[in-house]
Amino acid sequence: MNVAGEIEGVPIEDTFAEAFGMRATRLVITAETRAWARHAAVSATGFATSVIGCGCEAGIERELTARETPDGRPGVAILIFAMSSKDLQKHLERRAGQCVLTCPTTAAFNGVPKEIAHEWLQLGGALRYFGDGWQISKLIGGKRYWRIPVMDGEFVCEEKAGLVKGIGGGNFLILAADGDSARGAAERAVAAMRKVRNVILPFPGGVVRSGSKVGSKYKALIASTNDAYCPTLVGLTRSALPEGTGAVLEIVIDGLDAASIAQAMDVGIRAACHGGTDAGVVGITAGNYGGKLGPHHFHLKALFA
Amino acid sequence: MSALKFVLRHSPPSAVDVSGLRPAMLAGKSRKEIAQLSLTGWNEVHRVGDLFAVRGDDAQRIVIDGADERLVRIGAGLDSGELTVVGAAGDYLGESMRGGSIVVRGDAGALIGAGMRGGRIDVSGNVGAFAGSGRAGTLQGMAGGVIVVRGNAGDRAADRMRRGLLLIEGNAGDYCASRMLAGTTVVLGRVGIDAGYLMRRGTLVLGRSPHELLPTFNHNGWHDLLAIRLLLESLAVYGKRFQSFARSRPSLSRWLGDLGCDGKGEILIAPGRP
Repeated sequence: MNVAGEIEGVPIEDTFAEAFGMRATRLVITAETRAWARHAAVSATGFATSVIGCGCEAGIERELTARETPDGRPGVAILIFAMSSKDLQKHLERRAGQCVLTCPTTAAFNGVPKEIAHEWLQLGGALRYFGDGWQISKLIGGKRYWRIPVMDGEFVCEEKAGLVKGIGGGNFLILAADGDSARGAAERAVAAMRKVRNVILPFPGGVVRSGSKVGSKYKALIASTNDAYCPTLVGLTRSALPEGTGAVLEIVIDGLDAASIAQAMDVGIRAACHGGTDAGVVGITAGNYGGKLGPHHFHLKALFA
Repeated sequence: MSALKFVLRHSPPSAVDVSGLRPAMLAGKSRKEIAQLSLTGWNEVHRVGDLFAVRGDDAQRIVIDGADERLVRIGAGLDSGELTVVGAAGDYLGESMRGGSIVVRGDAGALIGAGMRGGRIDVSGNVGAFAGSGRAGTLQGMAGGVIVVRGNAGDRAADRMRRGLLLIEGNAGDYCASRMLAGTTVVLGRVGIDAGYLMRRGTLVLGRSPHELLPTFNHNGWHDLLAIRLLLESLAVYGKRFQSFARSRPSLSRWLGDLGCDGKGEILIAPGRP
């Protein structure tokens, strides 16, 4: 491992995370109670860990107080990422339609300020047809909303949601002595990273154990297990694991901008290294494809700048 | 630079179309050139300088001082800038305007904001019939923008209204929101007979219960709808009376109609005395 520096005695490899341009939107989901807003947000961001298999990546950005939402009710902000505007439109429509519209008392609002919106997606503009002609359009404070009659009253939905050019695939890998240490470090990192705005960690609990490489021996697969980082393949493959590594976990970050991803990686890596090697953390590295595929490179040596 | 001010020297003998006194028509002109401009009256043409004393130089801020109801089409076609009227404004104030703002410190005549598509009109006093409607022969009324009337409005307010916001702090006359197509009208005071007559869509919010509604409206129940809550809260910027109406945020009695036509309009009535 070519070391860029150490944090609490944990070596940080001099490498970089390679990330890709994506299209992203933020949806603010509100409800009469925080619990119902959460139900909708959890449902709307389910099965959205990777564009490879899910078509989009989504996650809860943060919970919002009643003062922060357009309708003065408790809410949750979610981010959805896809590879193209067309894909994002499709997944926004499906998720808002199947998971927010269906959830009691919820409403859905655009969460992207118009100053940074690159283009506009149809939100209520697409969902309104569920109203079967009984839907009502209403211009409120300069924004158009759709009121769709549903069985508990009306589903209120902003007509459009802003699209921004986001970034997907920021990442770092935690190399640990054993599974307990890896999970402990990952949980510390996720807790710290969840406080950073404009980012989501799309995998379960924010953590990936099945890091992948491009390609496979099987023609049908475009990605397969990252054998260089699998502890059970040490001795069989060209392992990248330093001596004493028993488990590796990865944290993937999607963000609305590069600065937010860099900030999330910074606080995440520092939290993962908390306790140093005594906590079982052997090293930190990041995943890339040689820098040829993704235009965004997040160098770990920036931690020491 | 000071506001470009037109002080009426004397009341014209008949109605005069003063729609030419708007920023787009006056920008870049000297006071002398402006004084030479023509205004069309009833079978006669007036020079601006004969009717008004012209002062100031900022064509983006125009004041018509001492106005009376014979000055018609004030601010018609306005698309930017501010226009203030001190006195009474005649009919068709702000007709077909697309942007900018008109403030009237006094009363205004009939058909204010007829066919307007954007901008804002504020009238401190009363207005005549057909506020926020359309010109005779057109199929749609106002299709955007905001009209705020602090006093009372005449009959047929919001007739054929297509889009936008018409806010009346006082009372409105008969047939309020007749033939309404869409948009929002709020009347904090009383309305006359047959509100919502042939209303197809749109929202009419009433601060006081009418004596009776048309039989072609069905009662939908008492509701505290999120969209209406958002709507009423958004009106707080238009003054304290709208702010306090929104704050009281009662469940509103909702009536749907007019079933004599499309029937997808709604009349929302605050609880309380008629």
